[in-house]
Amino acid sequence: MNPSLLSVRSATKRFGDVIALESIDLDIHEGEIVGLVGSNGAGKTTLLRLLSGVYRPTTGRVVLSGDADVERARSKLGVVPENTGLYSRLTAWENIRYHSRIHGISDDEAWNRTMYFAKHLDMVEVLGRHTKGFSRGMRQKTALLRALVHAPSVLLLDEPTAGLDVTSARVVRELVRQLGEEGGTVIYSTHQLSEAQRVCNRIVIIHNGEVRADGTPDSLLEATRTSNLEEAYVALTKDVARTRQEDAKPLSRWSSWWRGIFTPKTPGGDESE
Amino acid sequence: MRVRTIAKKELVEFVRDWRTILAILIIPLLMFPLLFILFPLLLASEAAELEAIEVDVVVQSESMPDELTALLENSSLRLIFEPLPELESLSSPQDGQERLRNGSVDAILRLQMNETILEYAVLYLSTSEQSLEARSRTFDVLGAWEQNETVRRIDAAGLDANQTLDPLRWDGDIGQSDVATQGEQAGMALSLFIPLVLSVWTFSSAIQPSIDMTAGERERGTLEALLGLPCTRMELLMGKWLAVATITGTGVLLQVAGLLFAIGYLATSDFISTPSVSYTALIFLCLAVLLFAVMVVAFELALAMRSHSVKEAGSILGPAVLIILFPALFTQVINLDGIETFWFAIPVVNVLLALRELLMNRIVYTHVLVWLLSSTLYALAAAYYAARQFKREDIVTSLS
Repeated sequence: MNPSLLSVRSATKRFGDVIALESIDLDIHEGEIVGLVGSNGAGKTTLLRLLSGVYRPTTGRVVLSGDADVERARSKLGVVPENTGLYSRLTAWENIRYHSRIHGISDDEAWNRTMYFAKHLDMVEVLGRHTKGFSRGMRQKTALLRALVHAPSVLLLDEPTAGLDVTSARVVRELVRQLGEEGGTVIYSTHQLSEAQRVCNRIVIIHNGEVRADGTPDSLLEATRTSNLEEAYVALTKDVARTRQEDAKPLSRWSSWWRGIFTPKTPGGDESE
Repeated sequence: MRVRTIAKKELVEFVRDWRTILAILIIPLLMFPLLFILFPLLLASEAAELEAIEVDVVVQSESMPDELTALLENSSLRLIFEPLPELESLSSPQDGQERLRNGSVDAILRLQMNETILEYAVLYLSTSEQSLEARSRTFDVLGAWEQNETVRRIDAAGLDANQTLDPLRWDGDIGQSDVATQGEQAGMALSLFIPLVLSVWTFSSAIQPSIDMTAGERERGTLEALLGLPCTRMELLMGKWLAVATITGTGVLLQVAGLLFAIGYLATSDFISTPSVSYTALIFLCLAVLLFAVMVVAFELALAMRSHSVKEAGSILGPAVLIILFPALFTQVINLDGIETFWFAIPVVNVLLALRELLMNRIVYTHVLVWLLSSTLYALAAAYYAARQFKREDIVTSLS
């Protein structure tokens, strides 16, 4: 097995009283395409934010290539957040160039690398267009180009095919597979098992902030003694899924009282509460 | 390098939105020149309109001097003569109240001879422009008659009316008596105005870009991608600060340029002239504005970054203008002669007072030292507060 490239060591992430992730241990090796699978609110995005250094673990560590804290080694990461994060008043190329300049890449190098991947994604013609009118697929592809421009060691993708049409989703999946074949490391978050099965060579199932299973698709079937991944997933996540935790920050007593004044009671409100 | 990249991108995004360019750069540039052109036109037009209107005045009297009757008839008043009703005093409105309120007449002049004194009262409606104009024209006629009558009575007593009525006289040109130069007088007048404009505009013009670059990014989801890049949050803050400060500084400079252009080329010299400010005072002026801008922009970026959405940021930063407006109005009435030094250490007030003093070309080094040190301290405190907000983890989450 290749050496560990990105490690999560006993990482816990709390938001006030809410435990978003608990005691996560994970080693990502070079050349792996790891699928983070879980329902909405399971903790996939929080884990990706820990991996990208946007969040700091409350306890534990996230380290890249041995011993460097991920926050200091972000130049080795390429990140595509769930909502792509493109600037609508900039062109696709300007969006890519903005990130490449912060990475310290020359414009020429960034352009050559962008063109290489843009041909694969059929994006060459639209690089000079403002992203305001872009479809979801075009936005996702632009965000991918932007994440790849500095040749990252690890690519973090948060639900990269969510909301895409069949053709665009297929193109994205093919690119990820190609990156894997070229020895790249990709962490791919999705709530669709079939998607993970098609793209990833390792699947990590997250549920209610915990890693419930981690292995190849075959090893998951073996461990759960099931015949397909869907059954395996159900077997591993029998307890009720929680709601999205990190955004569900409790209101202050004052805010709660104030909001309550203007909130009509639901029919049979006592039971629902 | 990264700070410059971040600032440059923010500025490129800013200039591509023509609406914000119009609101933050074009309007401040044209505001004062347009005001200086349009205000006199408006005044002239209003004056002409008042001149042209016809007013109805009822004259209630049993008998009145012939000369006054002639003066009234030769005036621009439309007159209705009536007998004087039974009244407690001439000022009692009685039936006149209804006539004035329903607009059937614009003023009522009551006259009554009491031996050698002509007693009078003018009833009017102070909430009606037309009635006020009728009252004013009536007073003009009464004043003219009184002047003639006074001269006649003094002459009849064998005195010289000119000497009797004007025993104290100014000798020479009254304009020469003020030893302050025109430039100094302009500095004094503008010192009551420019600090207010500078402070309020600096604060208000920084609101929109501050919100757009923080809560806006947060809401649009662009901040998360940015936070995953190898730049520190301090670099991010500095880049955004530089962009907002550039936009705000440009807006303020354009506004001052517009004002100086209007004073130099559009206003008459007897109204206002260009202030005379030494180079040292000018340097301190720029420094005071710079420190103020550092503090204000950092403070606004911090408040906007604390907010979860553009709406929340707007509802916090909008009313926050009052933090500047109240001290700005307050400092207008502070007397600068013999002012205590502690005033120059109070946040916001210190910079506003400094601007007032410097525009009057007064450089009091104790004051300069105090406002320089205190403003630097406040600017650093605001920057520290902003840095704390930018280091918060929850800045990637949005309410929307």
